[in-house]
Amino acid sequence: MMPPLLSSLITSLEAHRPVALATITAAPEAALLGRHALVWLDAEPLSELGLGNLEVQVLADAQSALAGRVHKTLTYPTPTGQVKVFVEVQHRPPELIIVGAGHIAVPLAQLGKLCDFTITVLDDRPQYANRQRFPQADNVLATPLRETMRDWVAAGRLDTDSYLVLVTRGHQHDVECLLEVLDTPLAYIGMIGSKRRIRTVFDLLSRGQGIPATKFTRVHAPIGLDIAAHTPAEIAVAIMAEIIAVLRGAADGKQ
Amino acid sequence: MDTFYHKLHEYLRSGETVAVATITEVRGSVPREVGAKMIIHPLGQHYGTVGGGCGEGDVILAALDVIQTGQPATVRVDLTEDPTMQSLGVCGGIFNVFVERWQGQL
Repeated sequence: MMPPLLSSLITSLEAHRPVALATITAAPEAALLGRHALVWLDAEPLSELGLGNLEVQVLADAQSALAGRVHKTLTYPTPTGQVKVFVEVQHRPPELIIVGAGHIAVPLAQLGKLCDFTITVLDDRPQYANRQRFPQADNVLATPLRETMRDWVAAGRLDTDSYLVLVTRGHQHDVECLLEVLDTPLAYIGMIGSKRRIRTVFDLLSRGQGIPATKFTRVHAPIGLDIAAHTPAEIAVAIMAEIIAVLRGAADGKQ
Repeated sequence: MDTFYHKLHEYLRSGETVAVATITEVRGSVPREVGAKMIIHPLGQHYGTVGGGCGEGDVILAALDVIQTGQPATVRVDLTEDPTMQSLGVCGGIFNVFVERWQGQL
């Protein structure tokens, strides 16, 4: 690859701008192999493919793959043989937002980092939400919980790449945060609490505040896959496993 | 940021010539997914994995050739042997790995 293409790719990654790298992986002429193009959703492609008449079609198909957010091998028959182009979609790494910096947050931040998530930890207690406690987190914020959620919702900060875990020190805080984010396109919302407690809370909210019960069906609560976890670390594993199930499309992660 | 391409950029900036291997197609059960990538370094300072084991060994061998010749290659890793004591790769699937050379002063 030409270094300028690599620089462009890196610039896009750093700007969290969706980009795809297209590479010719099969072609009748050996000279075409390994040629690249970059495509964006909102800009002209940068191409060194040299595919002649096929080029426009290939770049358009690569752009569709980018829009669909899945890597794809495109195949084209030509009079002299088959052309294959591998489209590698680069999207933003998923973000794990941990609300509540207590016992579960520590191992969960570590596990999330291991699984290549961007990690944000939030708590209103600076003695918990600090760098010493979360050295591997990307962002550690000591700000009010509910207000921060409200600001993020208003700013469109919670999107389909965001995974939100509510593990604050008290159930009322979890619920307050939950109510703020119920209508956002979050990929995942999980809330800690026993089955009984969760059922009671959801009942109260739908009857008392008139929130349709269906709004709660997307909430993973009790949080985590049921692996009979006991310790904070084990619970963090159960939560991360559930998040991976959602990320990778294993049903909806619910058992 | 710390992505695969940042790592690659580091290698190239320090004047190294490396190969990049990418899983482009899979069929059946395989150890890693489409899009998994690895940097193969001529002196063994590799980065990432395309699944480990003997399949990856074949990819590394092919990549050393690619680093020499500059001609990209596709390695087909077949893990469909019968699960006997002798066989090494028995995930059950087949995958293709595209290997290309990267070099250049940045």
